[in-house]
Amino acid sequence: MLFNSYPFIFLFLPLVLIGYFAMGRFGNLVPVIWLALASLAFYSVSNWQFVLLLLASVTFNYVIGLLLISGRLGSRPRFAVLTIGVAVDLLVLGTFKYAGFLAANLNALLSTGLTLDIVLPVGISFYTFTQIAFLVDAYRGNVARYALPHYALFVTYFPHLIAGPILHHKDMIPQFERAEAKRPNAHLILCGVIIFAIGLFKKTCLADGIQPLVAPAFGANSPSFDQAWIGALAYTFQLYFDFSGYSDMAIGISLMFGIFLPLNFNSPYQATSIIDFWRRWHMTLSQFLRDYLYIPLGGNRRGRVLRYVNLMVTMALGGLWHGAAWTFVIWGALHGLYLCINHAWNNYGPGIAPRFERAANIAALLLTFLSVVVAWVFFRADSLPSALYVLSRMADPTQIVFGRAEIVGTAFILGYAAIAWFAPNTQTIMGYDHKARVVGEALGAWQRRPLFLYATAAVLAFGILGIQQHSEFIYFRF
Amino acid sequence: MVQPASKLLRLLGASALILMVAVALNFIVDPLQIFRPARLFAAMYSQDSRMQNAGLIRSQDFDTVFMGTSLAIHFRQSDIDRLLGVMSLKLSMTGSNSREQSFVLTAALERHPKRIVWQIDDWIFHDAPDIDSDVYFPSDLYRRNARGIAGYLLSGAMARESAWILARSIPPIAPMVARWTTEELFKFPVSSVDDINTLRPGSDLSEAYNAKKTVAAFRRITDPVRSSYLAVDYKYDAMVRAFERDAVDLIAKNPDVKFDIYFPPYSILQFVAMRDASPATLKIVYEFSAYALPRLVQFPNVSLHDFRDAKQITHDLDNYGDVIHHSPVIDLKVLSDLAARNHVVDCAAPTASLERLKAQVEAYRVDDIER
Repeated sequence: MLFNSYPFIFLFLPLVLIGYFAMGRFGNLVPVIWLALASLAFYSVSNWQFVLLLLASVTFNYVIGLLLISGRLGSRPRFAVLTIGVAVDLLVLGTFKYAGFLAANLNALLSTGLTLDIVLPVGISFYTFTQIAFLVDAYRGNVARYALPHYALFVTYFPHLIAGPILHHKDMIPQFERAEAKRPNAHLILCGVIIFAIGLFKKTCLADGIQPLVAPAFGANSPSFDQAWIGALAYTFQLYFDFSGYSDMAIGISLMFGIFLPLNFNSPYQATSIIDFWRRWHMTLSQFLRDYLYIPLGGNRRGRVLRYVNLMVTMALGGLWHGAAWTFVIWGALHGLYLCINHAWNNYGPGIAPRFERAANIAALLLTFLSVVVAWVFFRADSLPSALYVLSRMADPTQIVFGRAEIVGTAFILGYAAIAWFAPNTQTIMGYDHKARVVGEALGAWQRRPLFLYATAAVLAFGILGIQQHSEFIYFRF
Repeated sequence: MVQPASKLLRLLGASALILMVAVALNFIVDPLQIFRPARLFAAMYSQDSRMQNAGLIRSQDFDTVFMGTSLAIHFRQSDIDRLLGVMSLKLSMTGSNSREQSFVLTAALERHPKRIVWQIDDWIFHDAPDIDSDVYFPSDLYRRNARGIAGYLLSGAMARESAWILARSIPPIAPMVARWTTEELFKFPVSSVDDINTLRPGSDLSEAYNAKKTVAAFRRITDPVRSSYLAVDYKYDAMVRAFERDAVDLIAKNPDVKFDIYFPPYSILQFVAMRDASPATLKIVYEFSAYALPRLVQFPNVSLHDFRDAKQITHDLDNYGDVIHHSPVIDLKVLSDLAARNHVVDCAAPTASLERLKAQVEAYRVDDIER
């Protein structure tokens, strides 16, 4: 089921909300079970064939987690249990996500004739990572004993199940355990509705609105210089508004249930370096990769050279996490390279005189943005040759069309760039502070500014009016 | 102090009000003419034929349906009517597959046309998604069920078009609005049904269709980087399956409707590109034709025409904008040849045209195009 669909907005969400708060009368556990069941129902609407896989994964990891937490095992058996747990998770993920890719590469290298066409269960990358983090923390002794319904809800919680944010058990399960979350809080529901409205608008009006400009650059035709740039830039903004729109909607929905989800975006295209970009783009994935891959690999503790190697490995694997294709690996590796250059510049580059700081920041913002756009070409293209072809068109100004369609396209791009660069982001507008569990503190002032409320109502209405017949989120396929 | 609950109600109430205004606007203006033919406001039409066809089927009078892909998109209904002596409705859809075409034809057949002129490409028959999973196709709008109607009325894009059509009907501002009505900004820029998806009047045909462009397209699709696109959607078993389901089944179920089916005149370079860059694909094309041609001529309500071996058209590269799309001049030639039955397939030798095509493709030398 899609957040940007009439059945979800007008049926599923109101019913689950009403049920959740109605169940609150029967104690603290019943609403949790209700929400977990609703999450399974949400998942099964379009992925019913993989519900058992999801349940098996939850049960398996819960049992492994119990073994790790129990304290009855010695250090070696504990490590063995962790290894088995993580290996099984990765094996399942690998089978569904990477077996076809592996077979295709073996076929290309050795002409084995082996082809595998395995359907990817939606959300498997997200719920696998979430649970691997749980197992590793359980092994490290950082996990308290959780009840099965709470753990099941932590994994299956429908606002994040399909495309994140990647949640952390320490952040989420205590929230599920709080009794106050089971009582309706009009303030949180109002803020949740507003954040959801902003996300819906980003998705249906902004991301879906610019999508038609992308295809001409990445299709079978040969784009001109301007068409290739318009396509690459359009995809840059489409992806941002699509994914950050989804994340806003997830945060908004969750807030209606009294649960604060972590932020996933913080105006990433305003970043003035690649390091800064990765602190602002898909933040929960960045944190996961840092805590469970980069630091265990050694991080920056073993000298500068190994730090760069670790960065490259982490980012290339991060790319592969997005999809089983060389284009994603190259995208990740390219960002790894950017990060290495960025760190090297920080270490060895010249300092900037204060009077040039503003100009340097603007130059850094543009350079960072340009680097990100180039990398997105690999992310979007069907194949490496296709990506290189689009890039070659972007580097060849001898062919320029710039007809009416391109002029309109350019105007759209400028409008989107203005929003991405200059507009405040959702958390700034709403005063959303995930760690402090605070949102909408300025809401009281709205009494003096009813226009804000009506503008928000318009955003919600336009978001609903923008719903197209069927428009999936790009990150669903990861 | 206004409480959050009250603010929430105000917010939801204001949203609902905006939604109702949009719904009312869409219902009254009805840009697609789904509920009624345009009377209050001047009719405007969209070039998005997958969407527009749902309204055309309901609002137009016709006794003949003209169906096809982009190869049949630029035809004018007035030309079809004049040359074939019919009252036609063009429902061609760019890049459409056989599922979509069959679905639209089935919807149009509810209006009981006598004849269907159907331009068929072999690549339309493939493993296309089910019509309800086709993200580009508003199937529920054709069915006029609750979901389709709700999607139509609750569409912000449609409300924008409704507002624009409404503004276009207000005398003082109508000329200014008409001047601003361009395809880049609005989805319903066409004021005559005859002009839907046709070239703009005064278009320079020699600029749009010439040998230079055709050869450039040939070079592009045979470029090793992009030649893999030639093989996309060519799987023999899937093609036969789709052909039986979407074409044969429809023909068999409508014995009283006359089907004029034609394979269009692609430039010879389409097949030469396959010959040189994707021979396995060309083999599938030949095998599929060898299956489809005899199968279609079995039906008494089918007249089959094969233009693919029409050398005087296909070898003149000035007729094309790329390797397959021919100019409006050829549109007229196709229509007059259909009327004169110049390329009709002989029931006794249904693959004769295919054999002629094979010989032409084999004989064609790429060096010739340099001259």
